[in-house]
Amino acid sequence: MPADIHTFTLVITGAPYSSQAPETALGFARAVLRAGHTIDRVFLYGEGVHLASSLASPPSDETNWTRAWGDFLQEHSVPAVACIASALRRGLVNESEQKRYQLPASNLAAPFEIAGLGEWVESTIKSSVQSSRVIYFHGGA
Amino acid sequence: MHTLIVIDQPPYGSWGGRESLDMAFSLAAFDQPVSLLFIDAGVLWLKQGQEPDGIYQKSVERNLAAASIFGVEALLAEATACHRFGLTDNNLINGVTRIENTGTTLQQYQHVVFSG
Repeated sequence: MPADIHTFTLVITGAPYSSQAPETALGFARAVLRAGHTIDRVFLYGEGVHLASSLASPPSDETNWTRAWGDFLQEHSVPAVACIASALRRGLVNESEQKRYQLPASNLAAPFEIAGLGEWVESTIKSSVQSSRVIYFHGGA
Repeated sequence: MHTLIVIDQPPYGSWGGRESLDMAFSLAAFDQPVSLLFIDAGVLWLKQGQEPDGIYQKSVERNLAAASIFGVEALLAEATACHRFGLTDNNLINGVTRIENTGTTLQQYQHVVFSG
């Protein structure tokens, strides 16, 4: 890999429709790929997990950020993971968590997955390499 | 690579700080060097004798007391913020290092994470 090609991990901690974090991150992600860099994964943490809810139904004249992100992730084969602790607290579950906690429904949108903070730790360890970066998109106060 | 997690929000009223603390513990669990820095109203995390039962929350004091056991290397606090919130040697929890220059401290870490 040439020295000027970077690998980015994007951490989104702000929710859609209450912060601009998911849309800013999507703009950044598109720019990263356009410039020839790569994204190893997107990690949703805290309020950011709401981005992975398949139940979000914004008015038709507004951007559906879950779908916009989902399309981007699938088109470019970028994995995206929601932190399990953040997700369970906020009512974002996949089918296996639905069964485990005997919940009436699951609502994790494809292609998002649910996993532990270890995924973020792994990206952090990788970022000790010069050509790798972890970038945070917060919701702000 | 040493990570510094920065907490700038008080312990009650927002979950941001708690989820930042989880990040610190998670790094420590994977044997990655990590320290915590409390700035602005975040220094209130470090006050002795927190009693949040009245708002149906668990005290964060116990979590922080366990930080060194779990492998968090340092608990740092901005000295000016401690002064502003009346935190002194008499009412800070044990093991806190007060720092005078936040900018210099931030530069000492390769990876700095602000709480969301």
